[in-house]
Amino acid sequence: MTLASISSNPRATLIGRLTGLRVPLVVILSFLVVALVIAWSLAPGLFTGYDPVNGTPAQKLLGPSAAHWFGTDHLGRDLYARVVHGTASSVASALIAVVIGVVAGGIIGLLAGFFGGWVDTAFARLVDVLLAIPKFLLAVIVVTAIGFDTTNAAIATGVSAVALFARVMRSEVIKTRQATFVESSFLLGGSRWHILWRHVLPNASRSVLPLAVLQFGDSILVIASLAFLGYGDPPPASDWGLLISIGKDYLKWPWLVYAPALVTIATVLSVNRISRWLRKTD
Amino acid sequence: MSKAYFNYAGKRLLQAIVVILLSYVFTFVVVSILPGDPITNVLNNPQNGFTPDEIKEIIAAQGLDKPIPVQLWNAFSGFVTGDLGLSMRTNRPVATLIAEVLPSTLVLASAGLAVSLVLAAIIAYGTQFLPRRFGQGLLRGFPSLFLSVPNFVIGLVLIHLFGFQLGVFRVIEPDSFWATLFAAIALGIPISAQIAEVLIANLDHESGQDYAAVARGRGLGQMRLFVMHLLKPSSLPVITVVALTIGELLGGSLITETVFGRNGLGNLVQRSVSTQDLPVLQAVVSLAAVVFVVVNLIADLTYPLLDPRVKLLGTQQRRPTTADDSSLPISKAVTP
Repeated sequence: MTLASISSNPRATLIGRLTGLRVPLVVILSFLVVALVIAWSLAPGLFTGYDPVNGTPAQKLLGPSAAHWFGTDHLGRDLYARVVHGTASSVASALIAVVIGVVAGGIIGLLAGFFGGWVDTAFARLVDVLLAIPKFLLAVIVVTAIGFDTTNAAIATGVSAVALFARVMRSEVIKTRQATFVESSFLLGGSRWHILWRHVLPNASRSVLPLAVLQFGDSILVIASLAFLGYGDPPPASDWGLLISIGKDYLKWPWLVYAPALVTIATVLSVNRISRWLRKTD
Repeated sequence: MSKAYFNYAGKRLLQAIVVILLSYVFTFVVVSILPGDPITNVLNNPQNGFTPDEIKEIIAAQGLDKPIPVQLWNAFSGFVTGDLGLSMRTNRPVATLIAEVLPSTLVLASAGLAVSLVLAAIIAYGTQFLPRRFGQGLLRGFPSLFLSVPNFVIGLVLIHLFGFQLGVFRVIEPDSFWATLFAAIALGIPISAQIAEVLIANLDHESGQDYAAVARGRGLGQMRLFVMHLLKPSSLPVITVVALTIGELLGGSLITETVFGRNGLGNLVQRSVSTQDLPVLQAVVSLAAVVFVVVNLIADLTYPLLDPRVKLLGTQQRRPTTADDSSLPISKAVTP
C-alpha cells in the first residue's frame, strides 16, 4: 500500500489498514508462542531455575503464585519447570512424526501420481487400508508392536499420518503433471526423473507445507494422547500429555491439569493459525 | 436406480471387501512382524504367574510355534468365517470379550455423534443469522479452537467442573445418564469442529451462488433464504464427512472411556495393549476397519440417491464442495 492511496481515500484505507494489521497480529502472536516453545525446548535452563525431577516435599500441591507460576505437584516439584523441561520431548516427537508422515507419504504419493497404472493402484489400496483403520487405533497398535517410549509414540503417530500426505501429494502431482510447462519440458527432452525433481516436486510441495504445519499441531495432540494413556516415556519424564495424565489423579488441585493443558492448547492453536495463514498467502 | 448406479455400487462393494481383507492382513503384519514379542514379554513375565506347562499350552492353542505365514493364514481364514480366535490372556473367545463391552462403546459413540452433529449445526447455521462483525467471527473461530484441544482435556475439564465443583454427576458411576452425556460431549466436541468446518464452507459457497443472489433480489429474508434454498444443498454433502469421522469416533472413545472410567472397547484395548494380547487387538482393529468401511460404503451408496446433482453416468462424477478433496478417500472409485 502506497502513501498516495492512503491520502486519496482515508476512510477505506483506515479500515483496510486495521484489518490488514489485525490478521497478521494474530499470526505474529502465534509465531511468538511457537518461538517461545522452541526456546523452551532448546534451553529450558534459561527459563526456570527449578529442578523438574527433584522437588521439595514440604512445598507440595501449592497453588500458582509468583514463586511457582503453575503451582507445584504432589512431590513438591515446580510445575512450570516440568512443563518447560518436557517441551523438548513433546515438540521433537511431533517433529519426528511430521517428518515420517511427509517423507513416507510424500514418496508414496509422488510415485503413485507420477507413474500411474498399477503402481498407483497398489499404493491406492495401501492408502485405503491406512485410512480404514482409525488413526488413533493405528498409532496405538504400532506403538504396542515397537514398544512404549516417546520416540516410538512419535513414529506411530507418523505412520498414522502417512495416508493423508500420500493422498494430497498424489493429487498435487497429478495436477502438476498435466500442466503445460511439464509437457513442454518433456518435449524438450527432459527425462522423467528430471521432470519429477525439477518441476513436479517443488510445485506439489507448495500445498504440502501448510498441511505439514497443520499436522505438526495434530501430532502434538496425538502424542499427548498416547502419553496420556501411558504409551510414552514413564515418569519422571514430563511430556505435556503425561503431566496432564498425572494431574488427572489430583483434580482437587486443578492447575495440575489446566496449566499443561493450556500450554498444549496455546501451542496447537498457534501452529494451526500459522498453517491457515500459510495456506491463504500461498 | 440406473444401470450406472448398479455399476458404481458393485465396484464400491468389491473395493470395500478388498480393503477390509487387506486391513486385516496389514494389522496382522504390524503386530506380528514388528520387534515386540508377546511370548517373552507376557508369558515369561513372572508377574503374570504362568507355569511352563501353561505357557506351552497357550503357545500351542494360539499356534505361536508355527511360521508366521501359517499363523496369518489360520487367523485370516478364521476372520473370514467369523472366528476371531482366543484371547491370549484370558483364554476366552475374543468375540465374547468384545460382545461384553461393545454396548457401552456403542452408546458412547452414538451419543458423541449426536452431540457433534447438534454442535456443528448450531455453529454453522448460527453463522447465517449473526452479524458478520461480531458474533459470526466468534462462531467461525470455534472449530479451530475445538481442533486444538486434546479430547482428554475436555473430558477432565468437564469432570472437574460438573463432576467435582457442581456435582452434576458422580465420577464413580460412569454409566449414569449425566456421566454418559458429559463423556459424549468430550468425545463430540473435536468431531463437531470438522463437520462444522465443512458445513460453513458449503454455506459460504451456496450463498455466493447466483440463485441465492436472485432470491435475495426477489426480497427473500435471510431466514427464508436459508430454510428454502441453502439448508439442503449445503447439508447433504456432510453425509460423506460424517461417515469419515466414524474412525475418529472410535479412536476418540478409546481415550474418553479411559478418562471417564467407562468399561468399553477402549478399556479392552488398553488392557490388551498392556498385556500384549494380540488376538484381541487384531480383532478390535479389524472390527473398527469393518465399521469404517461399511459406514462409508453406505454413505457413498445412498448419497447419489439423495443428491440429484451427483451424476454417475460416464466418467465424470461431480460432487458438491466438501472442504478438501482429501477428505473423500473412497469417492474416486467411480473414475477408474
